[in-house]
Amino acid sequence: MTKPGSDGSGKPGRNTSKGNTSKGNASKQRAASAKAVAGQRLARERRRRRTALVSWIAAGVIVVAGLIGYAVYASQNHVDFNVPKHAVQNDSGVVAGGSGPIKVDVYIDYQCPVCKAFEQSAGNALTNMVNKNQITLIYHPIAILDRFSTTQYSTRSAGSSGCASDFDHFLPYTQALFADQPPEGSNGLSDDELIQIGGSVGIADPKFAQCVRDGTYKTWATHNTDVASQRGITGTPTVLVNGTSIAASGQAPTLAALLTATGLTGK
Amino acid sequence: MTRDTATPHSAVASRRPPRAWLLWLGTAARLLLGAVFVTAGAIKVGDLAESGRAVNAYQLVPFSIAKFLGYVLPFIEMAVGLLLIIGLATRLAAIVAALMLIAYIVAISSAWARGLAIDCGCFSRGGSLAAGVRPSYGWDIARDVGLLAVAGFLAFIPRTKFSVDDYLLGPMDERSFDDD
Repeated sequence: MTKPGSDGSGKPGRNTSKGNTSKGNASKQRAASAKAVAGQRLARERRRRRTALVSWIAAGVIVVAGLIGYAVYASQNHVDFNVPKHAVQNDSGVVAGGSGPIKVDVYIDYQCPVCKAFEQSAGNALTNMVNKNQITLIYHPIAILDRFSTTQYSTRSAGSSGCASDFDHFLPYTQALFADQPPEGSNGLSDDELIQIGGSVGIADPKFAQCVRDGTYKTWATHNTDVASQRGITGTPTVLVNGTSIAASGQAPTLAALLTATGLTGK
Repeated sequence: MTRDTATPHSAVASRRPPRAWLLWLGTAARLLLGAVFVTAGAIKVGDLAESGRAVNAYQLVPFSIAKFLGYVLPFIEMAVGLLLIIGLATRLAAIVAALMLIAYIVAISSAWARGLAIDCGCFSRGGSLAAGVRPSYGWDIARDVGLLAVAGFLAFIPRTKFSVDDYLLGPMDERSFDDD
């Protein structure tokens, strides 16, 4: 035990109980380390709480994003829609002509080039079959290519075809739309051009023009598209004869396949 | 002076500063995953109806649910991607990303196993459209597995540079690498 006052503290007469022993230093170290550890623990706790708060905020951001998506879904999910004349099959298609025993369903998108090709190769045969009342021809105008147009041409044109059906000119109007088909990635035909085409096939009534400009049947087009998706029809053109597709999955239908499936000559 | 080995000093020393290369790797992982998710979501937001049809093509849920998912998922993807890019709540964002990737892997595998042809749209996409199984299923799954590994890494070690997390939680030298 050293004498009091000689522990190097510079204070005469200071009497520490531990003094300047190794044991004393060790316990001072322990105290300092314990304080450091406690401080570290406190800091860690603070960080954990901050992290938890940040995580809750982030979770909130994700939930809000989901709600935004839901809001858009709800706004575009129309339960009500206008139904054009001659609509059939859960209002998802229109009878383009004929009342024959063989049922032919044609799913098309007016922006689809292969649909145009099919229409131009099989259009005459279909018209003849209709005129001879050999088939009941039902068209399903759907809009699956809107993203290839800057003006949602698929939906607009499908909607306008509903207007044409109102005036009993669906089939000639459809064939004219394909004849004048705009290229993909363009604005598509304008409403004025659609009205002009309607006029060119014999639709003179100004209510047709009003129907096209109002987009009366655009929601019907969306409904058609949803129903087609529900039926598993994801590509156009798709042609069914009495409910069975005339082409293999992923293949485009052809005139030959149509004639084979219907057993008709198309003349 | 004997050294007292029983001091708590050893407990403080075991928390080392993070290794530099792990930090950089984590930062790269975070930015890559974030960019992928933001891009994937942004592409789909352009045509949400199509996104719904794409989900429906997997034939795993009824159409109405598929359509709903098609509308909601792109926004969640963008939110997760954004959180990763700015580095906020990296661990949580990485976990959500990982869960989504697992769902996508399961969906693609299921479609592959059932021989579905997930190709929608106009057949004008040339004769390149295979009638039947799409040949790139394997690549899609491999890509998603890779992304899942990245997300898993981030979930375990979410400490990265240039992140809001980093700013909020102070300099890294004083604390543990994966402590949060």
